[in-house]
Amino acid sequence: MRVLSAHTGSQLLYDPKDARWPDWEIVVGIEVHAQIKSRHKIFSAAQTSGYEQVPNTHVSMFDASLPGTLPRLNPRCVDLAVRTALALDSDIQTRSTFDRKHYFYSDLPAGYQITQRYNPFSKGGYLNLTQSGVSVRIEQIQLEQDTAKTAFDARRRVLSIDLNRAGSGLMEIVSKPDMRSPEEAGDYVRSLQAILRAVGSSDGNMEQGSLRCDVNVSVNRPGRPPGTRCEIKNLNSIKYMMIAISAEVFRHISLLERGETVPQETRGFHEDSHETFKLRSKENSPDYRYMPDPNIPPLVLCSEYIERIRGSMPELPAKTRIRLIKCGLSDRDVDVLMIVDSQKEVGFDGKTGGGIIAYFDELTKENDAKIVVNWDLTLSLRLTHELLGQLTRRGRMFQQNTIPATQMGELIQMVQSGSMTGDSGKELLRFLLDNPSDKPAHQLADELALLTLQDSALQILCRDVVSSSPTEVKLIRKGNMKIINKLVGKVMKKSRGRADAQATLAVLEGLIQTP
Amino acid sequence: MNIGDKDNICTKDMPTTCSSAMLADYWSPFDATVVDLLRQSGAGIIGKANCDEFGMGSLNVHSIYGPVVNPAFPTDDIRSAGGSSGGSAAAVAAGLCNAALGTDTGGSVRLPASYCGVVGLKPSYGMLSRWGVVSFADSLDCVGVLAKDVDIAHRVFNTLSKYDGQDSTSASPETREKAQRACEEHMQSWRSRRDLAGLRIGVPQEYFPASLSPASVDGVREMLRALRERGATLVPVSLPNTPYALSAYYVLASAEASSNLARYDGVQYGSYIAITAMCLHVRPTPHQIGTPASTYALSRTQGFGREVKKRILLGTYALSADAFDNYFLQAQRLRNLIRQDFRDVFLVPDPLLLSHSPASVDGVHALVHPSAVQTAPPLPDTNVISEGDSLGAYVQDILTVPASLAGLPAVSVPARGKNKQGPVGVSIVGQWGCEAMILEIARVIEGSVA
Repeated sequence: MRVLSAHTGSQLLYDPKDARWPDWEIVVGIEVHAQIKSRHKIFSAAQTSGYEQVPNTHVSMFDASLPGTLPRLNPRCVDLAVRTALALDSDIQTRSTFDRKHYFYSDLPAGYQITQRYNPFSKGGYLNLTQSGVSVRIEQIQLEQDTAKTAFDARRRVLSIDLNRAGSGLMEIVSKPDMRSPEEAGDYVRSLQAILRAVGSSDGNMEQGSLRCDVNVSVNRPGRPPGTRCEIKNLNSIKYMMIAISAEVFRHISLLERGETVPQETRGFHEDSHETFKLRSKENSPDYRYMPDPNIPPLVLCSEYIERIRGSMPELPAKTRIRLIKCGLSDRDVDVLMIVDSQKEVGFDGKTGGGIIAYFDELTKENDAKIVVNWDLTLSLRLTHELLGQLTRRGRMFQQNTIPATQMGELIQMVQSGSMTGDSGKELLRFLLDNPSDKPAHQLADELALLTLQDSALQILCRDVVSSSPTEVKLIRKGNMKIINKLVGKVMKKSRGRADAQATLAVLEGLIQTP
Repeated sequence: MNIGDKDNICTKDMPTTCSSAMLADYWSPFDATVVDLLRQSGAGIIGKANCDEFGMGSLNVHSIYGPVVNPAFPTDDIRSAGGSSGGSAAAVAAGLCNAALGTDTGGSVRLPASYCGVVGLKPSYGMLSRWGVVSFADSLDCVGVLAKDVDIAHRVFNTLSKYDGQDSTSASPETREKAQRACEEHMQSWRSRRDLAGLRIGVPQEYFPASLSPASVDGVREMLRALRERGATLVPVSLPNTPYALSAYYVLASAEASSNLARYDGVQYGSYIAITAMCLHVRPTPHQIGTPASTYALSRTQGFGREVKKRILLGTYALSADAFDNYFLQAQRLRNLIRQDFRDVFLVPDPLLLSHSPASVDGVHALVHPSAVQTAPPLPDTNVISEGDSLGAYVQDILTVPASLAGLPAVSVPARGKNKQGPVGVSIVGQWGCEAMILEIARVIEGSVA
């Protein structure tokens, strides 16, 4: 049952035929584990850790499972999870509970992980894929703890445990088996990443492990029910996830075409050989002995709370796109802004902003209020592009931009009002990137002699040029109007970009008394 | 005031071993909230008291330190102090301290109090913080107080009864206030009077099983007579689901224990058993050698005592996918029925319920029943504890587990002075948050003994 989301308005009818496996259909479902971007862990006061932290420095007594310690739910993690659920149109449950999942492993100091097995905090929902427009249904979203990290030093034969990650908050987002190709699976993860980053609930970084995927894959003949599924665990990049799905599809097909059955299994993936391998069969899958966690009272989320979170939600990518296009930006401009914006750093505890779109919004807002005339959107976009280009040239990310929006807004306004030429504006911009300053833009422009030449100064400059170019003047007076542009160029050069081309032309025409 | 501390309540200046080889050299880096509150109020913690390993036991015989001898008996009559807070009760009975902290999961404060002839208070669940209390079964564990008399128990309780944000199951200030109002409202009619006219005492018929020893029956009968003579009304009541309490309790408590004790696996706690350990009952099979699973299995086999291992196995089974519905969930349903039994007989409404259900007018203020089926039994020779004996030990808890399952406050007071058969306690059980009420009744009983 394919549902194409309404906004694409697509006339495409879904064609399940895939050239890679023309006689088969595939069914894919994905479980995503996304680390919650909270400052503190989900059940303790210890700080969460990035990649760079020294091992075992962000560990509370609870994270180390010291006897006598107890969990305390971090409300910030709940806020961020609720934002995610709202963004996915998921049904947030008034009452949800926490359970313990038991297994013995050195990355699990308590011998159990706190999760939401029986009553997850949110059920249902859907995600519209950005590229294909396919709508993938969400089964449920649950809160849980992340595990510690282990590293085996084969040379010393020592297993090291780093508890920094132990007890960080995770959202497990489970999709329905609604994807039909490896590419759709990739599209799903990318679309989900964009949503998580936009609402600030996770930075969704697969390379650094803050987003991990388990995928369920099955194949079937067209018109037949889905086949036996296998789960591939711990896929750490979209590329390898797609390769793993293809590899698994081919493995299933070759089994079935030989007349064998596909056993239900949990499998891993070798990134080198591009093959999946058996971890365990259904028969010897562990019994996790789930038990309600008696230390954590049920999580009760009233509608007032949910509405408060909804009211403070950052804008979702699809909405931002529509808004920017309504402002008059082209699709291409919006694409550039959104790509740059999606690379912004996700703040802790839902702090958003700091991206280029917020910057652009601030620029336009700032100036709308100040000047009556319509804000020159094209101009601000041009200068924003210039800013991006100059940052790239300097090897900086947008986050490393040193020009605050107010200063940039003032700069744009000066160009728009003519008190500085476009060239001078760009020069001031470059200057500010290399010499950050909190002085107002007009003061700097003045100090750097970048202000547009006033009438008298322009007159003097033009007179100089006219008197030093008798040949050209003669030709112009004869009617060769093209030559006057050469004089304009001369004036511009002498002014070091401070002369306005139109104004210069007018002055020169007056001086030469063109026919 | 000098106060003893059970060895499963964390102290940073003394070891906290839970009487287990697994934690034999464990020092907690922090004080439990209850210890902290005691120290802040000027009390001195004089030492750590022996207990059953991780609080599991009714006779205080499951301990790396050996059994606790009951000081209420002559030296030639070696009796159990009861468990699991046997060391705490014995320390108070022997006069080593004014009071001692214990923990009560299914009767572990009230039973030793009864055996040793001291006062034992198990407060309402959530009243005293569990931060720093080594978990046995979190949904049942309560810090309790053992004391020489009711006044001391009350004072210690008042010092410790504070909301603690570090324990998510700690009752909120609002709930405490609501409970206190309800409690005082229902004490008004009789507390200020010289007699107890207006006080309604329920006598639950299920708490007088055939196995009850004559000493226990006599103790409670004398106390009921005394209460009636003071003007209280005795009301026979029924808590029909009581017979299921013991089974439900052992399923739930063991299930939670199997979970809570999973962290003791030889990696952080206990001795990491290398494959060379040959002193074990279970020899590793060759394919297990060197696997993490073998490390856990061997370390846990070595580090835990018999009783703890038995309960972990029972609890692990109860949580397994095949048994969960029939054991764990079934036990939870029984627990709810038992809670409802109590609500049905109390005059005071349950402050933990959102909806205010009006209690029946023919309800009672509190229940009075024997604390134990018998007086302190002779200490079994540790070498000959058989399977049969341990079942006998479980039956000791039959009168105490219902209040634990319902999370209700209960206090055991010595019913008679020392006599030949030894001390025996009478329990008073009240609605959630009615500590002040049951302690007031306990004071009356205490007065009638003296």
